[in-house]
Formats: sequence, C-alpha cells, structure tokens
Amino acid sequence: MKINFLLNKKPVTIDVDPMKRLLDVLREDFQLLGTKESCGEGECGACTVLLDGKPVTSCLVNVIQAEGKEVLTSEGIAEEPLGKLLIDCFDETNAVQCGFCFPGFLVSSYYYLISNGELNLEKIKKALSGNICRCTGYQKIFESVLLACERK
Amino acid sequence: MKSIRKFDAVPKLNGSWKFLDDYSYQGMIFGQLLYSTCHHGIIKDIKFPAGFDLQEFTFVSAKDIPGENIVPEPECDQPFMAEKEVFHYGQVIMGITHSNLRILREFIKKTGVEFEELPAVTDIKECLDNEKNAFGKELTIDHRNGQKVDPTWIYHHKIYYTPHQEQAYLETQGMIAIWKPAEKMMFVRGTAQCPFFVKSGVESIMGKAAEKVEFETSEGIGGAFGGKEDFPSLLAGITALLSYKSGKPVKTVLDRSDDIKITTKRHPSRIEIKSWTDPKSKKIRKIDIDYRLDAGGYQTLSPVVLSRGVLHAIGGYDIPDSFIRGRLMRSNTPSNGAFRGFGAPQAFAAIEAHVENIAADLKIDPLEFRLVNLLRKDAEFPTTQLISEDHLYDCLQRVIEKSDYQKKVKEFKKWNETHKDKKGIGLAIGYHGGGYTGNGEKVLNSEIKVIIRQDAMVEIYVSSTDMGQGAHTTLAQMFFETIDHPREKCRVQLPNTSKTPNSGPTVASRTIYIIGNLLHDLALEIKAELGFENLEEYVASHQTEFPQEFRRNFIPDPSVQFDEETYQGTGYKDYSWAACVTEIYYHADTYKVELTKNWSVLDIGKLANPKIAVGQAEGGIVQGLGYGLCEFFYKPGFGRMHGFTDYTLPTSIDIPEMDIEFIHTDSEIAKGLGEIPMDFPAPSVRNAVLFALGIQINEYPMTPERIFKSLTADER
Ligand code: FES
Ligand code: FES
Repeated sequence: MKINFLLNKKPVTIDVDPMKRLLDVLREDFQLLGTKESCGEGECGACTVLLDGKPVTSCLVNVIQAEGKEVLTSEGIAEEPLGKLLIDCFDETNAVQCGFCFPGFLVSSYYYLISNGELNLEKIKKALSGNICRCTGYQKIFESVLLACERK
Repeated sequence: MKSIRKFDAVPKLNGSWKFLDDYSYQGMIFGQLLYSTCHHGIIKDIKFPAGFDLQEFTFVSAKDIPGENIVPEPECDQPFMAEKEVFHYGQVIMGITHSNLRILREFIKKTGVEFEELPAVTDIKECLDNEKNAFGKELTIDHRNGQKVDPTWIYHHKIYYTPHQEQAYLETQGMIAIWKPAEKMMFVRGTAQCPFFVKSGVESIMGKAAEKVEFETSEGIGGAFGGKEDFPSLLAGITALLSYKSGKPVKTVLDRSDDIKITTKRHPSRIEIKSWTDPKSKKIRKIDIDYRLDAGGYQTLSPVVLSRGVLHAIGGYDIPDSFIRGRLMRSNTPSNGAFRGFGAPQAFAAIEAHVENIAADLKIDPLEFRLVNLLRKDAEFPTTQLISEDHLYDCLQRVIEKSDYQKKVKEFKKWNETHKDKKGIGLAIGYHGGGYTGNGEKVLNSEIKVIIRQDAMVEIYVSSTDMGQGAHTTLAQMFFETIDHPREKCRVQLPNTSKTPNSGPTVASRTIYIIGNLLHDLALEIKAELGFENLEEYVASHQTEFPQEFRRNFIPDPSVQFDEETYQGTGYKDYSWAACVTEIYYHADTYKVELTKNWSVLDIGKLANPKIAVGQAEGGIVQGLGYGLCEFFYKPGFGRMHGFTDYTLPTSIDIPEMDIEFIHTDSEIAKGLGEIPMDFPAPSVRNAVLFALGIQINEYPMTPERIFKSLTADER
C-alpha cells in the first residue's frame, strides 16, 4: 500500500505493508538510523519521534498512522536552530554517555522547548519521564535542557 | 585536568554514530537464537511449525560445531549450545537464520521444543539457602585471632538477601559475523566490552575451521556495565557458526525480551553475618561472614565475582577477628555474570545493613558506631593488607558535614513524631579495589601502542572500549595533556583484535587506572626519548623519522603480592573510597519510598576529566539507588520477564537531587571510578527506611510490597 507523509519536512511516498512499524520504516526504508529500538514496547522512549508535532514512540505506531501527517525524527531536529542549541548544550555538559538513548531525549527535549520551554526543573523531569537512560542518572540531561531553556 | 568535551557526543546526538544494528553488509541475513524455556530437562524433540519453507533457513546446533563446544571463561564449563540436557532457562539450543527478521522471529516463536523435565532450582532462596547447591571452589579468608568471646559481648546473627539485577544497557546484545572462505577468515563485529574475549570465543567454536579470527567493535556500544563482558563471546560464537554454515554475513541482534530472559545478570546473594560487639567500647570484636552467590546454571566467571565479593565482604570496618567464607550456589537460571561492582555491591548491601542493625539494637548513633569501628589508616584488611590512607574517614566526615546529617537526624525524628508520612535519612560507606584482583594485572601484562604520523597525528591503540563511560575521550586526554599536544591531533582507534595490542578487558575499573596511567607514562617516555618540547614542531623538523610506533607494557609493582590459596596479601594496590547520605520521604498511604536527596563524596584520586567523572558517578549512583529501591526479578523463573514493563528502572521522576563531590583530587594517580558509585547507594536507601519506620528489612529492594509485609509482620 502507498503511504504519503512529510518526513523531516520533505514529502515522501512509500509502498509498504501499512502495519509495518514506523520505527522499522524509518530505519529500514529511509536509513534514518538515529531512531533506535531498545524495548520495542513503548517503555523506553529510544524510538521517540514527533508525529504532527507530538512525541510518539515509533515502535508502537504503524506506518499507516502517519498517512498525510508530518514526521520529525532526531535527524530532522538536529537541523533546526533549537535542535542545534540542544545538541550544543548536551555536548557542553558532557551529558552524553553511551548515547543510545540520546536521539530520543533530543526529540523529547525539543518538544519541551517548543511546547513549553519554561525554566522549570520539575516540568522538565516530567517531560522527559517517558525516556529511559541507564548511563547518566539523568542529572546532566536536566542540566543541559535547563541550559537550553536559558539560552533559547 | 580539564573537562574537555567528548569527541563522540555530537554524532551520537544527530544519529550518525553507528551502533551494531546500524551496520549492514551486502547479502546480510539475520540470525536469532532458539533457547530453552525449561529450567532443567532432556531435549526430546524439536518441532518446527508448518507453513514455512525450511530450505530458506540455516540451522546450527551443538553437533555442527567444528571446534569446541565450550565458551572460554575463567571456569570453562558452559557450552555454546546445549547438547542433550539443558541446565537452565534460556540455554541456547540452536542458532537459526533467515533473510527476513520478522519471518525468523515468528518461526522461532512457533517452534516447539519438547523436554523431559528434571528437578530444577528456580527460586533464589531455594538456591541460596540449601548448602547442597554449592559448587565450585570455596574461598575463605581466615583472620581469626583465637581470642575468646567475652560473655558481655552482644551477639548479632542476621541473613541478608539481594536479588538479580539487570544491566539494562539500552542497546541490546548484538553481533555480525562475516565468513571469508577464501582466506578461511572469520570477521566479527559486535557490541562488547572485551574484544579479546570475543575473539577467543569465536576461535573456540570454530576450531581449525578458521585460520584467522578478527573482532572489531561497533563504533557505538550502547551501554554494557559488565553485561557485555562474557555473553558476547557466546553470541559471537553462534553467529560466526551461522555465517560459516550459510556462507553469508549474519547479524544477530536480540530483542529486549530475549535479552532480559537469557543474558547474564548480577548474582543474587545470601550473606549471613554473625558478629560480637563489646557494648562498652562499642567495638565489633569478632565477625563471621558466610557469603553466597547464586551463579546460575554454570560457573563461567562467577569464581572471580566471588573472589571480589569476599575481599570486600568486611566492608569499611576494622574488626580484629574475622572469618569470611565464600561459596557459589547452582540454580537452573541463566548463568550470572559481571555487573558494575562485581560482588562488592552485595557485600556492602549486607555489611552496611548489619552495622546499622547493631547500632539500632544497641541504641547507638549509627554515625558514631561507624566512626568507632571505621577502617582507618594503618588498620588492616582481613587479608593483612595495611590501609595506607585515611580517605574513607575523610569521605565520611565530608558527607556528614555537607549533608548536615546530625541536624537532619534530629529534625526528622521530631517531624516523624507528629506525621503519618515519615522522613528518613540513611548513611552508607564503601570502597572498591581498582584493577584485577591480586596478581591479576601482572598476569594480564597489558600492552598499549601509539603511532605518531607524519602530520603529528597521534593514534592510540588499546583494546579498551568506549561503552559510554567516555574512555576514548579520557584516554586520549591522558596522553595529549601530558605533553601539551592539541586534542584534535590525538585519537583512540576503534578496538580491533588484529590492530590493537591486548591491553586487557574493559572491566574492573581498570581502564583509566591501568591503561590511562600507562598512556600518561608512555607520553612522558616518548617525550624524554625524542627530546622535544613541542611534538608538532619536532615531527615537522624530523619528517623522515615518522610514522613511528611506540609500545609499552604494564609494569607491575613488585610489592604487590597476593596468595591465591590463603587469600593473604595485597588484594588491590589502590582503593577508591566513598560515603553517602540518602534522604527519603515515605508515603504512608502507598508504602512508597521517595528518594529526595543524595550526597555522595568519593575519593578516586586525580580526576582525568571532572565532568565525565561526575557523569559516571551520577549514573552509577542511580543504578545503585535502583538496586536499593525498585530493581528485581519476579520469581520464580525467567519466562515471566518480558522487558522494561516488568523490570522497573528508575526514570527521571524517581531520582533524587544528587550532590557529588570528589576529594583528594590533587593525588598523583587516577584511581578506579567505574564501579564504586554502584557499591554504596543501595544500603543508604535501606538504612533510611530503618530510620523512618524503625523496621530492619534485610532483603533488598525496598519496594512498597516488601515494606507493607514487614510492617504488618511487625504488628502481629
Ligand atoms: S523502543 Fe520504542 S519505546 Fe522503547
Ligand atoms: S547515555 Fe546510555 S542509555 Fe542514556
């Protein structure tokens, strides 16, 4: 089945099983490898992308659900000014450890910046509570997002 | 030293850094594992489902192994694949490939293995309580002084239990193998922390069929924490065999559910402590510790975990008369393996709870009780090793001061008198021996290599992997900062067993401590040998001499002597020390413990990169807090664990505010950091619960269910 959507701001069409997971379509059909699979059951947030501007775990989304919509992945966000700012803040604090979770954190933090962006630790913690990181203990991630809120 | 940025952070953020599953090769197919869902039994029959074309699949089992069906480990008792009898849940029976991963997974899911079931030990306590389950070599440290027990001394006898803990690296286990028949060469790429372990695993299974085996890590290793120390050898071996038989590149990446069910975890423990305390001097006079670990189905590397466990079992206390006995116990669950801390977190979970229990029973302030018994400079470990520094005391003093511990104790006690919810504050101390135990580093004889190119680019060749701890940034830094070379002109190369010398595995908090200090020394040696002030200028004016290669081996300190039989001598040349205070808020309605604040003070010597060090400590402390608060496996059996929905990891809203400080950073050497943050947080949570509720819970973690049970048991 042919599916059309906007991927990182470019219109795309793909002929694919409509029930294929959006995660697999991004990784296999578009070679967008920044979106990671870790749990495959919506628990860890490593596969987070924005679907029509809202964060979703792409391992639980079938590609048909993206029909006619806009998908923004970590690669797309990395090109946006606020995405660039976040990347610089994560880099400056040395927050990134293994990095496997980070594309997901980038998406969720970006969503926080565009939807709220308030310099408020409690709100940031909540906004990131769907993303698991096993390496960092989160503290430096909060620090980075606070820094980005300050600088934006 | 400076907090330079990591060289790999930006590519990891924009998705261009490649993890194992991000690699593809021409003609690559997929591999997966068929494993036992029976804990102990004889394989009777394997029934493949109808509706699939078996021609499309490649199968390998024990009988296809050209080499040896033994995974090389400290104890070589585990086969790659079961022959007839399976000894644990999750034991691999077959490797299978197909060109379509979804079809392959469905095929394996529908494949039925019939077993003749045999008696099995599946429950942690059933395994640990019954001495009949002991297997392998027993370890003892005998530091008894023959002194008689004084009748006025107060006897305490308690048993402490800790559960399995899952490493939960976010990137699951994965390997790619490519068989090159013309050269009889097996190339393997994977997410693993010990390149040479994987190489010898593949050599073992391939035997003479392969003339050469080369292993290279993926660019990114998505977390490991010990979990990618030995399991990768097994996965690499089977994947290699699949490539050998199918003739195609094969990629095997486990999904989370398989990963959590069949890979190694932290050993559950049962630690029984008997102690005798003199109530007048408040000194513990005598202690007897029975330290047991559930090794799982096979011993594999458990003897080494046991060794570190018994060497840390006495905790940070100076007790003149001690006897420590360590044993491995067998259960029919997956073999347990390495996990940050390696036997020490279990030891501190028990001894720190025990000390707190004694203080509570004798109504002594737990801080005062620790101070009276603390392992100070010039005291000795049960191994007779003398303590050369008073840094444990310094850590404890500093954390008490900065957390305002004494004032909070009073405040919280008062607050608790009038509230249904409770506040708690808990103390714990810990330490960790750096590097391999005893003579281990001498035996390892790590080697490093540096090549200086004609453009003054310095390439560092070490087998230490960067699995997120920032090793490749910090190792490079320890070289280029030593000789003031620009950072862009120094890179650690991706570990590859054909190109990098064997500088040992990336384990045991040894990467900076052993390899980093070695790089620092080599940098100074090269500078002295070539006689330059500025390396770039020197290379520019001596072009014809480059590229030039330099090598150096670890030089053991002759004063480090350890007797592997009696366990007397120097267990570890250098120790890192730590102390922490954790504050909790207990919600009476839900029985839930909320972590509100953690102060940790650590001495790891010189900081190679302060920001990276803080990040490492924060991550380890959160794993330790999780171990104390919420992480465990349902019992019995592994079949019920599916992934992160069943295994509770701390998220951003579960963690306390953390305040971390390093002391004695002006030291000459950088000591181990990787593991110590994991050693002490769990008992601080437990001790805070004792403070808040007055109940001694001797089984980890402090879940609402456990607290509810303990409270209601107390009422009865
Ligand atoms: S992989 Fe999608 S939430 Fe974990
Ligand atoms: S950095 Fe490794 S999981 Fe987050």
